[in-house]
Amino acid sequence: MATLLRSAVLNPEAYRTVRAADSDRPSKTRSFSSLAPRLDRLNGKTIYLIDTGFGGSGRFLDQVEAWFAEHVPSVTAVRRRKSGSIFRDDTTDLWEEIREKGQAAILGVAG
Amino acid sequence: MAVATCSRTLEQEYGIPTAPISTFEFADFLSQDLRFHGVPLRVIYTSHPVVGMPGSVLRGYIEGKDPATDLTVIDEVVEALTKPVSDLEFTGDFAPVSRTGVRQTLLEPDTENNLQRLFYDRGWTDGLPVVLPTEERVAEMLIGTDRAPDEVVAEIFLHDTQEYLQFTVEMVAIVGVMAGARPEHLPVLLAVASTGHPSIPGSTTPFASMLLVNGPIRNEIEMNSGIGAFSPRRLANSVIGRAWTLLTTQWGYLRLKKQFWTSQGNPIGYNNMCVAENEERSPWGPFHVEKKFPAKESVVSIFRGWSFVNNVVGSSQRSVGQDVCIQLGALPGLFSAATLILDPLVAWHLQQNDGFQTKLDFCHWISENFKMPASQFWGTDLIHMMMAPLAEKGVEPYASWKKLPGDALIAPYNNPENINIVVVGGETSPMWKVADFGYVVSASVDKWRAKPMRDGCADGSCGLPDEP
Repeated sequence: MATLLRSAVLNPEAYRTVRAADSDRPSKTRSFSSLAPRLDRLNGKTIYLIDTGFGGSGRFLDQVEAWFAEHVPSVTAVRRRKSGSIFRDDTTDLWEEIREKGQAAILGVAG
Repeated sequence: MAVATCSRTLEQEYGIPTAPISTFEFADFLSQDLRFHGVPLRVIYTSHPVVGMPGSVLRGYIEGKDPATDLTVIDEVVEALTKPVSDLEFTGDFAPVSRTGVRQTLLEPDTENNLQRLFYDRGWTDGLPVVLPTEERVAEMLIGTDRAPDEVVAEIFLHDTQEYLQFTVEMVAIVGVMAGARPEHLPVLLAVASTGHPSIPGSTTPFASMLLVNGPIRNEIEMNSGIGAFSPRRLANSVIGRAWTLLTTQWGYLRLKKQFWTSQGNPIGYNNMCVAENEERSPWGPFHVEKKFPAKESVVSIFRGWSFVNNVVGSSQRSVGQDVCIQLGALPGLFSAATLILDPLVAWHLQQNDGFQTKLDFCHWISENFKMPASQFWGTDLIHMMMAPLAEKGVEPYASWKKLPGDALIAPYNNPENINIVVVGGETSPMWKVADFGYVVSASVDKWRAKPMRDGCADGSCGLPDEP
Protein backbone atom coordinates (compact mmCIF):
# COMPACT_ATOMS: atom_id res chain seq x y z
CA MET A 1 0.00 0.00 0.00
CA ALA A 2 1.39 3.39 -1.04
CA THR A 3 2.21 5.74 1.79
CA LEU A 4 2.14 9.50 1.86
CA LEU A 5 5.44 11.23 1.37
CA ARG A 6 6.56 12.44 4.78
CA SER A 7 8.04 15.72 3.65
CA ALA A 8 6.05 18.58 2.26
CA VAL A 9 6.70 19.20 -1.43
CA LEU A 10 7.01 22.74 -2.76
CA ASN A 11 4.92 24.03 -5.60
CA PRO A 12 7.36 25.36 -8.24
CA GLU A 13 4.79 27.75 -9.66
CA ALA A 14 4.39 29.52 -6.34
CA TYR A 15 7.81 31.08 -6.66
CA ARG A 16 7.12 33.12 -9.74
CA THR A 17 4.95 36.15 -10.21
CA VAL A 18 3.78 38.09 -13.21
CA ARG A 19 3.47 41.76 -13.75
CA ALA A 20 1.79 43.45 -16.68
CA ALA A 21 4.10 44.69 -19.41
CA ASP A 22 2.09 47.86 -19.73
CA SER A 23 0.31 48.69 -16.50
CA ASP A 24 -1.19 51.79 -18.09
CA ARG A 25 -2.99 49.94 -20.81
CA PRO A 26 -6.76 50.14 -20.66
CA SER A 27 -8.46 47.26 -18.98
CA LYS A 28 -11.72 47.74 -20.80
CA THR A 29 -12.66 47.19 -24.39
CA ARG A 30 -11.31 49.91 -26.64
CA SER A 31 -13.38 51.87 -29.07
CA PHE A 32 -13.66 50.53 -32.59
CA SER A 33 -12.56 53.94 -33.77
CA SER A 34 -9.05 52.66 -33.13
CA LEU A 35 -9.23 51.19 -36.64
CA ALA A 36 -8.63 53.44 -39.61
CA PRO A 37 -11.58 54.49 -41.74
CA ARG A 38 -12.35 51.97 -44.47
CA LEU A 39 -12.32 52.71 -48.20
CA ASP A 40 -15.63 53.15 -49.99
CA ARG A 41 -14.37 50.87 -52.77
CA LEU A 42 -11.12 49.43 -54.07
CA ASN A 43 -11.46 50.51 -57.70
CA GLY A 44 -8.74 52.92 -58.68
CA LYS A 45 -6.95 52.63 -55.35
CA THR A 46 -3.30 51.85 -54.67
CA ILE A 47 -2.92 48.87 -52.35
CA TYR A 48 0.41 47.89 -50.87
CA LEU A 49 1.03 44.15 -50.57
CA ILE A 50 3.53 43.81 -47.73
CA ASP A 51 5.61 40.65 -47.50
CA THR A 52 6.51 40.38 -43.83
CA GLY A 53 9.27 37.93 -44.66
CA PHE A 54 8.06 34.54 -43.48
CA GLY A 55 8.69 31.65 -45.85
CA GLY A 56 6.21 31.53 -48.72
CA SER A 57 4.77 34.99 -48.06
CA GLY A 58 6.10 36.38 -51.31
CA ARG A 59 4.56 33.62 -53.38
CA PHE A 60 1.28 33.95 -51.53
CA LEU A 61 1.17 37.66 -52.30
CA ASP A 62 2.02 36.87 -55.95
CA GLN A 63 -1.33 35.14 -56.09
CA VAL A 64 -3.14 37.98 -54.34
CA GLU A 65 -1.62 40.40 -56.83
CA ALA A 66 -2.66 38.15 -59.72
CA TRP A 67 -6.19 37.94 -58.36
CA PHE A 68 -6.51 41.71 -58.27
CA ALA A 69 -5.10 41.98 -61.79
CA GLU A 70 -7.80 39.62 -63.02
CA HIS A 71 -10.77 40.75 -60.95
CA VAL A 72 -10.17 44.39 -60.03
CA PRO A 73 -7.68 45.58 -62.66
CA SER A 74 -8.12 49.22 -61.71
CA VAL A 75 -6.32 48.48 -58.44
CA THR A 76 -2.65 49.39 -58.46
CA ALA A 77 -0.86 46.75 -56.43
CA VAL A 78 2.52 47.78 -55.05
CA ARG A 79 4.72 45.00 -53.75
CA ARG A 80 7.12 45.62 -50.89
CA ARG A 81 9.15 43.49 -48.53
CA LYS A 82 8.96 44.81 -45.00
CA SER A 83 12.32 46.20 -43.99
CA GLY A 84 13.90 45.29 -40.67
CA SER A 85 13.05 42.31 -38.50
CA ILE A 86 10.37 39.80 -39.41
CA PHE A 87 9.35 39.71 -35.76
CA ARG A 88 8.91 43.40 -34.93
CA ASP A 89 7.44 46.62 -36.16
CA ASP A 90 10.71 48.43 -36.72
CA THR A 91 9.73 50.08 -39.98
CA THR A 92 8.89 53.72 -40.57
CA ASP A 93 10.05 54.48 -44.10
CA LEU A 94 7.67 51.99 -45.65
CA TRP A 95 4.74 53.15 -43.55
CA GLU A 96 5.47 56.74 -44.57
CA GLU A 97 5.52 55.68 -48.22
CA ILE A 98 2.16 53.95 -47.87
CA ARG A 99 0.66 57.01 -46.23
CA GLU A 100 1.97 59.17 -49.04
CA LYS A 101 1.24 56.97 -52.01
CA GLY A 102 -1.26 54.30 -50.99
CA GLN A 103 -4.72 53.90 -49.58
CA ALA A 104 -4.64 50.40 -48.04
CA ALA A 105 -2.31 47.56 -47.15
CA ILE A 106 -2.48 43.79 -47.16
CA LEU A 107 0.09 42.18 -44.87
CA GLY A 108 1.08 38.56 -44.84
CA VAL A 109 1.58 35.88 -44.19
CA ALA A 110 2.08 35.13 -40.54
CA GLY A 111 2.97 31.53 -39.88
CA MET B 1 3.70 38.71 -34.33
CA ALA B 2 4.74 41.25 -36.90
CA VAL B 3 1.62 41.00 -39.08
CA ALA B 4 -0.63 42.11 -36.22
CA THR B 5 1.84 44.62 -34.78
CA CYS B 6 2.47 46.30 -38.12
CA SER B 7 -1.24 46.36 -38.93
CA ARG B 8 -1.98 48.09 -35.64
CA THR B 9 0.62 50.73 -36.41
CA LEU B 10 -0.73 51.34 -39.89
CA GLU B 11 -4.32 51.50 -38.66
CA GLN B 12 -3.78 53.67 -35.61
CA GLU B 13 -0.80 55.87 -36.42
CA TYR B 14 -1.00 56.17 -40.20
CA GLY B 15 -4.76 55.89 -40.80
CA ILE B 16 -4.29 53.09 -43.34
CA PRO B 17 -6.90 50.31 -43.48
CA THR B 18 -5.26 46.90 -43.43
CA ALA B 19 -6.01 43.29 -44.17
CA PRO B 20 -3.60 41.19 -42.09
CA ILE B 21 -3.32 37.56 -43.17
CA SER B 22 -2.11 34.61 -41.11
CA THR B 23 -2.22 30.87 -41.48
CA PHE B 24 -4.90 29.21 -39.37
CA GLU B 25 -2.29 27.40 -37.31
CA PHE B 26 -1.68 30.59 -35.36
CA ALA B 27 -5.30 31.65 -34.91
CA ASP B 28 -5.37 31.12 -31.15
CA PHE B 29 -2.11 32.99 -30.68
CA LEU B 30 -3.31 35.93 -32.75
CA SER B 31 -6.67 35.91 -31.02
CA GLN B 32 -4.91 36.31 -27.69
CA ASP B 33 -2.71 39.05 -29.13
CA LEU B 34 -5.79 40.94 -30.34
CA ARG B 35 -7.46 40.52 -26.97
CA PHE B 36 -4.45 41.89 -25.15
CA HIS B 37 -4.04 44.93 -27.37
CA GLY B 38 -7.75 45.64 -27.59
CA VAL B 39 -7.56 46.51 -31.27
CA PRO B 40 -10.06 44.46 -33.26
CA LEU B 41 -7.99 43.90 -36.38
CA ARG B 42 -9.75 42.08 -39.16
CA VAL B 43 -7.35 39.14 -39.36
CA ILE B 44 -7.94 36.75 -42.22
CA TYR B 45 -6.83 33.15 -41.87
CA THR B 46 -5.66 30.95 -44.69
CA SER B 47 -4.85 27.27 -44.85
CA HIS B 48 -1.56 26.03 -43.44
CA PRO B 49 1.24 25.77 -44.44
CA VAL B 50 2.10 28.49 -46.91
CA VAL B 51 5.84 27.87 -47.05
CA GLY B 52 6.88 25.62 -49.92
CA MET B 53 3.47 25.57 -51.59
CA PRO B 54 3.29 26.02 -55.38
CA GLY B 55 1.36 28.93 -56.85
CA SER B 56 -1.61 26.78 -57.81
CA VAL B 57 -2.09 25.66 -54.23
CA LEU B 58 -1.73 29.19 -52.91
CA ARG B 59 -4.28 30.38 -55.44
CA GLY B 60 -6.58 27.72 -54.04
CA TYR B 61 -5.98 29.07 -50.54
CA ILE B 62 -6.92 32.58 -51.65
CA GLU B 63 -10.05 31.56 -53.48
CA GLY B 64 -10.88 28.95 -50.85
CA LYS B 65 -12.38 29.22 -47.39
CA ASP B 66 -10.99 30.87 -44.31
CA PRO B 67 -10.93 27.91 -41.88
CA ALA B 68 -11.99 30.22 -39.06
CA THR B 69 -15.09 31.64 -40.73
CA ASP B 70 -15.87 29.44 -43.73
CA LEU B 71 -15.93 32.59 -45.86
CA THR B 72 -13.81 33.03 -48.96
CA VAL B 73 -10.38 34.40 -48.11
CA ILE B 74 -10.17 36.96 -50.91
CA ASP B 75 -13.70 38.18 -50.19
CA GLU B 76 -12.64 38.74 -46.59
CA VAL B 77 -9.61 40.70 -47.78
CA VAL B 78 -11.80 43.00 -49.85
CA GLU B 79 -14.30 43.33 -47.01
CA ALA B 80 -11.59 44.07 -44.44
CA LEU B 81 -10.53 47.08 -46.47
CA THR B 82 -13.96 48.38 -47.44
CA LYS B 83 -16.62 47.37 -44.93
CA PRO B 84 -17.29 50.19 -42.47
CA VAL B 85 -16.41 49.40 -38.89
CA SER B 86 -19.51 48.98 -36.80
CA ASP B 87 -20.19 48.40 -33.15
CA LEU B 88 -21.95 45.20 -34.08
CA GLU B 89 -18.98 43.71 -35.83
CA PHE B 90 -16.83 42.92 -32.83
CA THR B 91 -18.56 41.45 -29.87
CA GLY B 92 -15.60 39.63 -28.41
CA ASP B 93 -14.03 40.40 -25.08
CA PHE B 94 -10.91 42.42 -25.74
CA ALA B 95 -10.08 42.85 -22.08
CA PRO B 96 -6.71 41.50 -20.91
CA VAL B 97 -6.42 37.91 -19.79
CA SER B 98 -7.26 37.55 -16.11
CA ARG B 99 -4.34 36.95 -13.76
CA THR B 100 -3.95 33.89 -11.62
CA GLY B 101 -3.95 34.67 -7.93
CA VAL B 102 -1.35 33.73 -5.33
CA ARG B 103 -0.66 30.02 -5.38
CA GLN B 104 -0.15 27.87 -2.33
CA THR B 105 3.49 27.18 -1.73
CA LEU B 106 3.09 23.61 -0.46
CA LEU B 107 1.37 20.90 -2.42
CA GLU B 108 -1.22 18.67 -0.80
CA PRO B 109 0.43 15.65 0.84
CA ASP B 110 0.36 12.62 -1.41
CA THR B 111 2.29 9.52 -2.37
CA GLU B 112 5.56 9.67 -4.28
CA ASN B 113 3.94 8.21 -7.38
CA ASN B 114 1.00 10.58 -7.31
CA LEU B 115 3.23 13.59 -6.84
CA GLN B 116 5.44 12.49 -9.70
CA ARG B 117 2.28 12.18 -11.77
CA LEU B 118 1.15 15.63 -10.64
CA PHE B 119 4.44 17.23 -11.66
CA TYR B 120 4.21 15.57 -15.04
CA ASP B 121 0.55 16.45 -15.58
CA ARG B 122 1.14 20.09 -14.65
CA GLY B 123 3.86 20.35 -17.28
CA TRP B 124 6.61 20.98 -14.74
CA THR B 125 8.97 18.29 -16.03
CA ASP B 126 10.89 17.41 -19.16
CA GLY B 127 8.96 14.16 -19.41
CA LEU B 128 11.40 12.31 -17.16
CA PRO B 129 10.84 11.66 -13.45
CA VAL B 130 12.17 14.41 -11.20
CA VAL B 131 13.51 14.57 -7.67
CA LEU B 132 10.58 15.92 -5.71
CA PRO B 133 11.44 19.30 -4.18
CA THR B 134 10.70 18.74 -0.52
CA GLU B 135 11.23 21.53 1.98
CA GLU B 136 14.35 19.81 3.29
CA ARG B 137 15.89 19.27 -0.13
CA VAL B 138 15.25 22.85 -1.20
CA ALA B 139 16.65 24.20 2.07
CA GLU B 140 19.80 22.15 1.52
CA MET B 141 20.06 23.36 -2.06
CA LEU B 142 19.92 26.96 -0.89
CA ILE B 143 23.15 26.41 1.05
CA GLY B 144 24.84 26.79 -2.32
CA THR B 145 24.28 30.56 -2.38
CA ASP B 146 24.31 33.54 -0.02
CA ARG B 147 21.44 35.16 -1.81
CA ALA B 148 18.08 35.53 -0.11
CA PRO B 149 15.54 32.95 -1.24
CA ASP B 150 13.05 35.63 -2.23
CA GLU B 151 15.52 37.67 -4.30
CA VAL B 152 14.30 38.09 -7.84
CA VAL B 153 16.88 36.60 -10.19
CA ALA B 154 15.53 37.96 -13.48
CA GLU B 155 12.40 38.65 -15.48
CA ILE B 156 11.12 36.81 -18.51
CA PHE B 157 8.84 38.41 -21.07
CA LEU B 158 5.92 36.19 -21.96
CA HIS B 159 4.92 36.90 -25.53
CA ASP B 160 1.57 35.17 -25.37
CA THR B 161 0.24 37.14 -22.41
CA GLN B 162 2.47 40.19 -22.86
CA GLU B 163 3.57 40.00 -19.23
CA TYR B 164 6.83 39.81 -17.33
CA LEU B 165 7.42 36.74 -15.22
CA GLN B 166 9.64 37.28 -12.19
CA PHE B 167 11.31 34.32 -10.51
CA THR B 168 13.23 33.99 -7.30
CA VAL B 169 16.37 32.29 -6.03
CA GLU B 170 14.13 29.78 -4.30
CA MET B 171 12.44 28.85 -7.56
CA VAL B 172 15.81 28.17 -9.15
CA ALA B 173 16.72 26.05 -6.13
CA ILE B 174 13.48 24.08 -6.49
CA VAL B 175 14.25 23.44 -10.14
CA GLY B 176 17.78 22.45 -9.21
CA VAL B 177 16.44 19.83 -6.83
CA MET B 178 14.04 18.57 -9.48
CA ALA B 179 16.91 18.17 -11.95
CA GLY B 180 18.99 16.20 -9.45
CA ALA B 181 21.51 18.97 -8.82
CA ARG B 182 23.59 19.44 -5.69
CA PRO B 183 24.02 22.68 -3.71
CA GLU B 184 27.41 23.31 -5.31
CA HIS B 185 25.69 23.41 -8.70
CA LEU B 186 23.27 26.13 -7.64
CA PRO B 187 25.51 29.13 -8.45
CA VAL B 188 25.83 27.88 -12.02
CA LEU B 189 22.06 27.51 -12.27
CA LEU B 190 21.53 30.99 -10.87
CA ALA B 191 23.99 32.42 -13.36
CA VAL B 192 22.15 30.71 -16.21
CA ALA B 193 18.80 31.87 -14.84
CA SER B 194 20.07 35.43 -14.45
CA THR B 195 20.48 35.69 -18.21
CA GLY B 196 16.74 35.21 -18.65
CA HIS B 197 17.40 33.17 -21.78
CA PRO B 198 15.32 30.00 -22.19
CA SER B 199 16.98 26.86 -23.47
CA ILE B 200 14.09 26.39 -25.91
CA PRO B 201 12.87 29.73 -27.26
CA GLY B 202 9.37 30.09 -28.60
CA SER B 203 9.65 29.24 -32.28
CA THR B 204 8.36 26.80 -34.84
CA THR B 205 12.00 26.02 -35.62
CA PRO B 206 14.01 23.34 -33.77
CA PHE B 207 16.16 25.69 -31.69
CA ALA B 208 19.02 24.16 -29.73
CA SER B 209 21.15 25.72 -27.02
CA MET B 210 24.58 25.02 -25.59
CA LEU B 211 25.87 25.84 -22.13
CA LEU B 212 29.60 26.29 -21.62
CA VAL B 213 31.25 26.66 -18.22
CA ASN B 214 34.67 28.23 -17.75
CA GLY B 215 36.84 29.00 -14.75
CA PRO B 216 37.65 27.29 -11.46
CA ILE B 217 34.15 26.03 -10.73
CA ARG B 218 34.44 23.53 -13.58
CA ASN B 219 36.80 21.41 -11.56
CA GLU B 220 35.31 22.19 -8.16
CA ILE B 221 31.98 20.67 -9.19
CA GLU B 222 33.64 17.98 -11.30
CA MET B 223 32.32 19.00 -14.67
CA ASN B 224 33.52 16.95 -17.60
CA SER B 225 35.55 18.74 -20.24
CA GLY B 226 37.47 15.65 -21.33
CA ILE B 227 36.55 12.19 -22.54
CA GLY B 228 32.90 11.99 -23.54
CA ALA B 229 32.21 15.48 -22.22
CA PHE B 230 28.97 15.68 -24.21
CA SER B 231 27.91 12.13 -23.35
CA PRO B 232 25.37 11.26 -20.64
CA ARG B 233 27.77 10.29 -17.89
CA ARG B 234 28.95 13.05 -15.54
CA LEU B 235 26.47 14.32 -12.95
CA ALA B 236 27.26 18.04 -13.12
CA ASN B 237 27.00 18.22 -16.91
CA SER B 238 23.77 16.23 -16.91
CA VAL B 239 21.89 17.96 -14.13
CA ILE B 240 22.94 21.54 -14.86
CA GLY B 241 21.98 21.16 -18.49
CA ARG B 242 18.72 19.50 -17.56
CA ALA B 243 17.91 22.17 -14.99
CA TRP B 244 18.08 24.85 -17.68
CA THR B 245 15.25 23.17 -19.56
CA LEU B 246 13.27 22.63 -16.35
CA LEU B 247 13.68 26.36 -15.71
CA THR B 248 12.47 26.94 -19.23
CA THR B 249 9.33 24.92 -18.51
CA GLN B 250 8.71 26.97 -15.38
CA TRP B 251 9.09 30.13 -17.42
CA GLY B 252 6.26 28.91 -19.63
CA TYR B 253 8.19 28.24 -22.79
CA LEU B 254 6.93 24.68 -23.12
CA ARG B 255 3.24 25.50 -22.97
CA LEU B 256 1.84 23.96 -26.12
CA LYS B 257 0.99 26.58 -28.75
CA LYS B 258 1.38 29.36 -26.23
CA GLN B 259 5.14 29.64 -26.44
CA PHE B 260 6.02 26.10 -27.58
CA TRP B 261 5.65 25.83 -31.34
CA THR B 262 8.62 23.82 -32.54
CA SER B 263 7.27 21.49 -35.18
CA GLN B 264 9.76 18.65 -34.65
CA GLY B 265 11.67 19.73 -31.59
CA ASN B 266 15.30 19.02 -30.86
CA PRO B 267 16.73 16.33 -28.54
CA ILE B 268 19.51 18.70 -27.54
CA GLY B 269 16.92 20.28 -25.24
CA TYR B 270 17.24 17.41 -22.75
CA ASN B 271 20.53 18.76 -21.39
CA ASN B 272 21.54 21.53 -23.77
CA MET B 273 25.04 20.32 -24.53
CA CYS B 274 26.13 21.39 -21.07
CA VAL B 275 29.90 21.14 -20.96
CA ALA B 276 33.05 22.73 -19.56
CA GLU B 277 35.92 23.99 -21.65
CA ASN B 278 39.10 21.95 -21.36
CA GLU B 279 41.18 24.99 -20.47
CA GLU B 280 44.07 22.96 -19.11
CA ARG B 281 44.65 21.14 -22.42
CA SER B 282 43.90 24.01 -24.77
CA PRO B 283 46.78 25.80 -26.49
CA TRP B 284 44.69 28.96 -26.61
CA GLY B 285 43.03 31.23 -24.06
CA PRO B 286 39.76 30.16 -22.46
CA PHE B 287 36.50 31.31 -23.97
CA HIS B 288 35.38 33.50 -21.07
CA VAL B 289 38.64 35.48 -21.21
CA GLU B 290 37.79 36.33 -24.83
CA LYS B 291 34.61 37.82 -23.40
CA LYS B 292 36.64 40.04 -21.04
CA PHE B 293 36.19 38.04 -17.85
CA PRO B 294 39.24 37.39 -15.63
CA ALA B 295 40.68 33.91 -16.07
CA LYS B 296 40.04 33.16 -12.39
CA GLU B 297 36.38 34.00 -12.61
CA SER B 298 33.84 31.24 -13.17
CA VAL B 299 31.47 32.01 -16.01
CA VAL B 300 28.67 30.39 -17.97
CA SER B 301 28.24 31.18 -21.64
CA ILE B 302 25.17 30.51 -23.74
CA PHE B 303 25.10 29.64 -27.43
CA ARG B 304 22.09 29.16 -29.64
CA GLY B 305 21.42 27.68 -33.05
CA TRP B 306 19.85 24.58 -34.50
CA SER B 307 22.35 22.03 -35.74
CA PHE B 308 25.83 20.62 -35.49
CA VAL B 309 27.88 18.33 -37.70
CA ASN B 310 30.43 15.90 -36.30
CA ASN B 311 33.78 15.09 -37.77
CA VAL B 312 33.97 11.42 -36.92
CA VAL B 313 37.44 10.11 -37.72
CA GLY B 314 39.75 13.08 -37.87
CA SER B 315 41.26 14.52 -41.03
CA SER B 316 44.26 13.00 -42.82
CA GLN B 317 43.52 13.65 -46.48
CA ARG B 318 42.54 17.28 -46.17
CA SER B 319 43.49 19.98 -43.73
CA VAL B 320 41.25 20.55 -40.72
CA GLY B 321 40.37 23.93 -42.20
CA GLN B 322 39.31 22.37 -45.51
CA ASP B 323 37.10 19.84 -43.75
CA VAL B 324 35.57 22.52 -41.55
CA CYS B 325 34.69 24.47 -44.69
CA ILE B 326 32.95 21.45 -46.18
CA GLN B 327 30.91 21.08 -42.99
CA LEU B 328 30.01 24.75 -42.96
CA GLY B 329 28.49 24.27 -46.40
CA ALA B 330 25.63 22.38 -44.74
CA LEU B 331 24.82 25.30 -42.43
CA PRO B 332 23.07 28.55 -43.31
CA GLY B 333 25.75 31.09 -42.32
CA LEU B 334 23.25 33.32 -40.53
CA PHE B 335 25.00 36.53 -39.46
CA SER B 336 28.36 34.74 -39.74
CA ALA B 337 27.46 32.64 -36.71
CA ALA B 338 29.28 29.35 -36.21
CA THR B 339 30.74 27.53 -33.26
CA LEU B 340 33.59 25.05 -33.60
CA ILE B 341 34.09 22.61 -30.75
CA LEU B 342 37.57 21.18 -31.06
CA ASP B 343 39.22 18.33 -29.24
CA PRO B 344 42.52 19.53 -27.71
CA LEU B 345 44.38 17.36 -30.23
CA VAL B 346 42.83 19.37 -33.06
CA ALA B 347 43.50 22.67 -31.32
CA TRP B 348 47.16 21.76 -30.81
CA HIS B 349 47.45 20.59 -34.41
CA LEU B 350 46.04 23.89 -35.67
CA GLN B 351 48.40 25.86 -33.48
CA GLN B 352 51.62 23.88 -33.90
CA ASN B 353 51.31 22.54 -37.44
CA ASP B 354 49.04 25.01 -39.19
CA GLY B 355 50.31 28.15 -37.47
CA PHE B 356 47.11 29.50 -35.94
CA GLN B 357 48.46 31.12 -32.79
CA THR B 358 45.05 32.21 -31.51
CA LYS B 359 41.49 31.10 -31.96
CA LEU B 360 40.80 34.28 -33.85
CA ASP B 361 43.58 33.50 -36.34
CA PHE B 362 41.73 30.36 -37.35
CA CYS B 363 38.41 32.25 -37.44
CA HIS B 364 39.95 34.72 -39.89
CA TRP B 365 41.16 31.87 -42.08
CA ILE B 366 37.67 30.35 -42.16
CA SER B 367 36.13 33.73 -42.87
CA GLU B 368 38.38 34.24 -45.87
CA ASN B 369 38.43 30.72 -47.23
CA PHE B 370 34.90 29.38 -46.92
CA LYS B 371 32.93 30.24 -50.05
CA MET B 372 29.38 29.54 -51.11
CA PRO B 373 27.43 30.37 -54.30
CA ALA B 374 25.26 33.43 -53.79
CA SER B 375 22.21 31.46 -54.93
CA GLN B 376 22.78 28.84 -52.21
CA PHE B 377 23.07 31.55 -49.56
CA TRP B 378 20.03 33.58 -50.57
CA GLY B 379 18.04 30.46 -51.45
CA THR B 380 17.99 29.38 -47.81
CA ASP B 381 14.68 30.52 -46.32
CA LEU B 382 16.27 31.41 -43.00
CA ILE B 383 18.68 33.76 -44.78
CA HIS B 384 15.88 35.16 -46.91
CA MET B 385 13.84 35.85 -43.79
CA MET B 386 16.54 37.30 -41.58
CA MET B 387 19.13 38.86 -43.88
CA ALA B 388 17.40 39.91 -47.10
CA PRO B 389 15.99 43.00 -45.30
CA LEU B 390 19.55 44.08 -44.57
CA ALA B 391 20.43 43.78 -48.25
CA GLU B 392 17.39 45.80 -49.24
CA LYS B 393 18.33 48.42 -46.69
CA GLY B 394 21.72 48.77 -48.35
CA VAL B 395 23.78 47.18 -45.58
CA GLU B 396 27.07 45.88 -46.95
CA PRO B 397 28.24 43.35 -47.91
CA TYR B 398 24.71 41.94 -48.14
CA ALA B 399 23.47 44.56 -50.58
CA SER B 400 26.32 43.75 -52.96
CA TRP B 401 25.89 40.00 -52.51
CA LYS B 402 22.22 40.34 -53.43
CA LYS B 403 23.16 41.84 -56.81
CA LEU B 404 25.60 39.06 -57.73
CA PRO B 405 24.78 36.31 -60.24
CA GLY B 406 23.70 33.10 -58.56
CA ASP B 407 26.92 31.23 -59.29
CA ALA B 408 29.17 33.98 -57.90
CA LEU B 409 31.03 32.87 -54.79
CA ILE B 410 30.62 34.80 -51.56
CA ALA B 411 32.24 34.39 -48.13
CA PRO B 412 29.18 34.30 -45.84
CA TYR B 413 31.22 34.08 -42.63
CA ASN B 414 32.43 37.60 -43.32
CA ASN B 415 32.64 38.50 -39.65
CA PRO B 416 35.28 36.29 -37.98
CA GLU B 417 34.33 37.71 -34.59
CA ASN B 418 31.05 35.78 -34.86
CA ILE B 419 32.84 32.46 -35.25
CA ASN B 420 33.36 30.88 -31.84
CA ILE B 421 35.90 28.25 -30.92
CA VAL B 422 35.83 26.20 -27.73
CA VAL B 423 38.13 23.34 -26.79
CA VAL B 424 36.43 20.24 -25.41
CA GLY B 425 37.46 16.61 -25.47
CA GLY B 426 39.58 13.83 -24.05
CA GLU B 427 42.26 13.49 -26.73
CA THR B 428 41.43 9.93 -27.67
CA SER B 429 41.09 11.09 -31.28
CA PRO B 430 41.44 14.43 -33.12
CA MET B 431 37.79 15.17 -33.75
CA TRP B 432 35.54 18.18 -33.73
CA LYS B 433 32.02 19.48 -34.15
CA VAL B 434 30.85 22.36 -36.32
CA ALA B 435 27.64 24.06 -35.20
CA ASP B 436 25.54 26.91 -36.51
CA PHE B 437 25.34 28.19 -32.96
CA GLY B 438 25.81 31.87 -32.31
CA TYR B 439 27.14 33.25 -29.06
CA VAL B 440 24.38 34.79 -26.95
CA VAL B 441 25.71 35.94 -23.59
CA SER B 442 27.99 35.13 -20.65
CA ALA B 443 27.23 35.51 -16.95
CA SER B 444 29.36 35.39 -13.83
CA VAL B 445 28.89 32.35 -11.60
CA ASP B 446 30.95 33.74 -8.75
CA LYS B 447 28.54 36.46 -7.77
CA TRP B 448 25.99 33.75 -6.95
CA ARG B 449 28.33 31.59 -4.86
CA ALA B 450 28.16 31.16 -1.10
CA LYS B 451 31.13 32.58 0.78
CA PRO B 452 32.54 29.27 2.02
CA MET B 453 32.88 28.19 -1.60
CA ARG B 454 34.63 31.47 -2.49
CA ASP B 455 37.03 30.94 0.38
CA GLY B 456 37.98 27.68 -1.23
CA CYS B 457 39.72 29.49 -4.11
CA ALA B 458 43.49 29.62 -4.16
CA ASP B 459 43.74 33.25 -3.11
CA GLY B 460 40.29 33.56 -1.57
CA SER B 461 39.10 36.07 -4.12
CA CYS B 462 37.99 33.92 -7.02
CA GLY B 463 38.80 36.90 -9.19
CA LEU B 464 36.17 39.08 -7.53
CA PRO B 465 36.78 42.62 -6.38
CA ASP B 466 36.82 43.27 -2.64
CA GLU B 467 33.40 43.62 -1.14
CA PRO B 468 32.53 47.11 0.09
